[in-house]
Amino acid sequence: MRFGFIKTLCVLWLAAIVLLALSAPLITSADPYTPVSDMLQSPSYHPPLGTDALGRDFFARTAYGARLSLSIPLLSTLLTVLIGTTFSLTAITAGRLSDRIILTIANTALAIPGLLLAMLLVAGFGPGLSTIVLAVGLGGIPGFIRLSRSIFLGIKEMGYIDAAYALGASRTRVAIAHMLPNAAPQLFSLATTHFAWAFMGTTTLTFLGLSGDPSFPEWGAMLNSGRMHLIQAPWLTIVPGILISLTILAVHYLGENYADH
Amino acid sequence: MKTNKIIILLIIFLLSISGLSSACQPPSETSSTLNYGLTLAPSGIDPHLNASAELGIPLSSVYDTLVFLDPANGEFVPGLAERWEISSDGLSYTFHLRKDVHFHDGTPFDAQAVQENIEYTLNPENHSQKAATMLGPLNQMEILDEFTIVLVLDEPFAPLLDSLSQVYLGMASPKALEQWGPSEYQFHQVGTGPYRFIEYIPNDHITIERNPDYAWGPAIYSNAKASIERIFFYFYEDAASRALALERREVDVMGEIPPHEADRLASSSDFSLSPVAIPGQPLQYFVNTTVEPTDDLRVRQALLLAIDKESIVRTIFGSHSPISNGPLSQAGFGMISAPPPSSHNPGEARQLLDTAGWILEGQDTHRKRDGVPLSIKLIAPDWGSNSEVAQLMKVGWENIGVNVELIIAPGFGALKEIQSSGDYHVIGINFFGTDPDLLRSFYASDAFYNWTGYSDAEIDRLLNEAARTTHVPVHRMELYSQIVRAITDNALVLPIRDYVNLVVTQQRVEGLKFSAQGWFPNLIDVQLSSP
Amino acid sequence: MVSKSHRRTALLAVIRRLLEGVGTAWAAVTLAFFALRFASGDPVASLLSQGLASPEQADEIRISLGLNAPLWLQYLRFLTNLLHGDLGSSLYTHRSVSQIILEQFPSTAVLAVSGLIAAILLGLILGITAAWFGKRASGMIAATIAALATSIPVAFAGILSLLIAGCLLQEPGSANGMLIRLILPAMVLGFASSGPIARVIHSGLSESLRSPFILAARARGIRRGFRLLWHALKPSLPPVISLTALEAAFLFTGTVVTETVFSRPGLGRLLVKSILDGDFPIALGLVALAAIFYTISHVFADLLTLVIDPRLRRAE
Repeated sequence: MRFGFIKTLCVLWLAAIVLLALSAPLITSADPYTPVSDMLQSPSYHPPLGTDALGRDFFARTAYGARLSLSIPLLSTLLTVLIGTTFSLTAITAGRLSDRIILTIANTALAIPGLLLAMLLVAGFGPGLSTIVLAVGLGGIPGFIRLSRSIFLGIKEMGYIDAAYALGASRTRVAIAHMLPNAAPQLFSLATTHFAWAFMGTTTLTFLGLSGDPSFPEWGAMLNSGRMHLIQAPWLTIVPGILISLTILAVHYLGENYADH
Repeated sequence: MKTNKIIILLIIFLLSISGLSSACQPPSETSSTLNYGLTLAPSGIDPHLNASAELGIPLSSVYDTLVFLDPANGEFVPGLAERWEISSDGLSYTFHLRKDVHFHDGTPFDAQAVQENIEYTLNPENHSQKAATMLGPLNQMEILDEFTIVLVLDEPFAPLLDSLSQVYLGMASPKALEQWGPSEYQFHQVGTGPYRFIEYIPNDHITIERNPDYAWGPAIYSNAKASIERIFFYFYEDAASRALALERREVDVMGEIPPHEADRLASSSDFSLSPVAIPGQPLQYFVNTTVEPTDDLRVRQALLLAIDKESIVRTIFGSHSPISNGPLSQAGFGMISAPPPSSHNPGEARQLLDTAGWILEGQDTHRKRDGVPLSIKLIAPDWGSNSEVAQLMKVGWENIGVNVELIIAPGFGALKEIQSSGDYHVIGINFFGTDPDLLRSFYASDAFYNWTGYSDAEIDRLLNEAARTTHVPVHRMELYSQIVRAITDNALVLPIRDYVNLVVTQQRVEGLKFSAQGWFPNLIDVQLSSP
Repeated sequence: MVSKSHRRTALLAVIRRLLEGVGTAWAAVTLAFFALRFASGDPVASLLSQGLASPEQADEIRISLGLNAPLWLQYLRFLTNLLHGDLGSSLYTHRSVSQIILEQFPSTAVLAVSGLIAAILLGLILGITAAWFGKRASGMIAATIAALATSIPVAFAGILSLLIAGCLLQEPGSANGMLIRLILPAMVLGFASSGPIARVIHSGLSESLRSPFILAARARGIRRGFRLLWHALKPSLPPVISLTALEAAFLFTGTVVTETVFSRPGLGRLLVKSILDGDFPIALGLVALAAIFYTISHVFADLLTLVIDPRLRRAE
């Protein structure tokens, strides 16, 4: 089976973004916080993407921005997956009652939109990047529990799980040694799709100004601050916007098609 | 044909959208209508009860005040009061009111109305946020006859006339106040001004209409009556949308346009730019003197020296803002001697920090003393250009080895929460006003807005004495000059720039001038040239 | 013919779902109450810290708001009031919360409904084009646009539309105001929400076009074109309809951002503002209403599926 053309593109794009994030200090000598020149200069030879409203090197901000824009959703997805999987696995393997309880709690929490939960958390803990990680992470748990639970449910109905129980395996052992490994590919696909959601959620929150310190380069916050000068310097919004959109697109595409293997 | 279905679907789509949107009324544009853009949507628009400056923009034309402040010379001119006397002990103000004034609902304006207005404002159940505090030690009122009223104070209070010149103490119809009560009155406001209040739909618009009976305007108004028939006010909270609204001809006038956008619009012949200096406090940051390391004067001075004000102002505000060096703006306070400009001197700042014991060792980027890093929590409000200013301040301070944690507080509530917790070193807030007594709310030891935590008996004494100096303005200003010197010597505040409101108008708008407070347009004088 | 026992089972299912819905709504509102309490702490403290009440007044306010009662009692009072439609008064303006919400509701409702209609129409167009034209250029383009719709953040789509509209509309005119105020935000919202709908239709329609029953239909003489399309589309409709009801979730996020970008008044912005300002009664009222609305739309979606599926199945 040949790896599709589009899939290759997606992987390449994501690799490029990650590379950008990791190698930021190597690619550009400018620092994303200090103004280097007059503000709102158009892209030219130097600085490569011009300057933003405070005269900072925009290419530097974009490159360093990849770091925050990638790591925040990554951390929150990790949080969601760890907690969510624990709950859904418990729900499926620990008996009817726990399943009912966990499912009901998850459904109830789902009645409150994720963004709302996130905003409440920000209101409680104050704006900041760590709050956003927490907010996006916690906000995604109910949905993740539901979806991962169905995955585990599907696995459970396979014959070999019953066989394992028949052979005397304890519930924990079945859960960890049998269900998890078998669910792994589907879980990974789910986590990837969830990462796209977390990425979107993070940029929405930072766009609404809840990131605390706008001098940190982060694509969602840059999308917001670029709006002030939309007509004069459209690239300040277009560049982060396109980067965000293409990244989400790539992750979505890969996540959806991964499970087909 | 497949294309047919697409076309039909598109048609349905467009029809349904236009059907729905016909529910919306577009702003009409006739030679007799003006569309004015406001910014923040305030939580309430009753000037007696609410504090926002925004509400004054429409309402200062709906209300008249007892006196008016002349922006040209800083003197008070007659308004609803023809003349007044102040007793020599400064405790009694006798106002002789005009006899020919009536409210928009037909009821006559008289001394009784003044008394009821003040009672309404001072009534603790009404929770007046600003107007009540502006009356100071007002104790009682005496009505001498139908058009004469005496305001009696417990102590002399120099700012009283200034307070009475502001829209927050504009005169409302007692009948309307009585009829609607404090919650609903804001939707049915009745004053005596050149415009009548028509309606207020929260977050949507305010409408006012010309008052054809207006015949008692103060001397500072050029016209006797308004010329524009109707004025609509729309809200544009989002700064990024304001310039766009002007370009799309949604509004004819809008203030608080971001500086670069204002320049861009002004370069076109379709728009004119009117920069208006707003008197009061500059965009400034208070330094917390009660916590380390900012309790040390040398650290505060170093922070001030490390800010490149010129570069900040040039970058963010272009050519539009004078740099500020003291706790009061230059506009409106010319009689108070301003402090000398502070220089941008990072070298001296570094020396000061060294002397204070904060050293840079080896490869460190941040200074330390006894192993403790030099950390500053910088709290900036989210309005105006505070966010950008704070970011550049942070750069300047990191440059001299200070570790800065910047937090933008979303809204006044959040700002105040942080301040109440005490967990900050530098925090930004500023108020506007035309009387230097403004300083007392910020620098008196027990003041609510004393966010520096600095307590100095001498400053308190000077502030109190200045507030009581009703009769000798020169002496009063000299006292404030001393206060300003004390504030500057102790580096209590980091002033950045004087506020200049960038107002952009369409070409057809003529005659737009602003009141002494800076924010409020004299709408009676605005005319529209024929298109 | 639907038999009596069929009808009774269906009715029972409906009743059960409704009861579940009530239960979920109640649980969600409870969650909202305690979550907000946790987030905002003592509501009066923020009044105190802002100087809007003196310490003596604060005690009075606490009593008038019923804050001195134990938490469970406050919660019960909140529930009873909620059932009567009383959501308390704003902490700052003392106006009735239900009144404030009612004032802002029309603007958001108009935006949300227009957005939803736009989403459905756009989703239909994209999904049908992608499935019908399959490998051809128009099909691939439609599929790509649908994918973009799910990936472009609402904020960016809004900003782009402002840019484009700004470039295209160069002549002055206040009709532009109406365009920008409603049509554009509705289209942006619709575009951003159309992705899932397009996807469901695309995959559902593609599959059904390849299915034997379509071949049978063509053998029966139904020509290509509208009638064939309609037959092929029918099985995909139930998931689309239930998806539409669930889109309510996305609409909420979408309205908050759209209202910000286009400076429209509405409940989304009111919510953000009330949470950040600490106006607890308004925030709680809005969150509770959002939770109830969500539950209603979920229940509605489930009920619709129940209703439509059996009937369609029976029709073959």
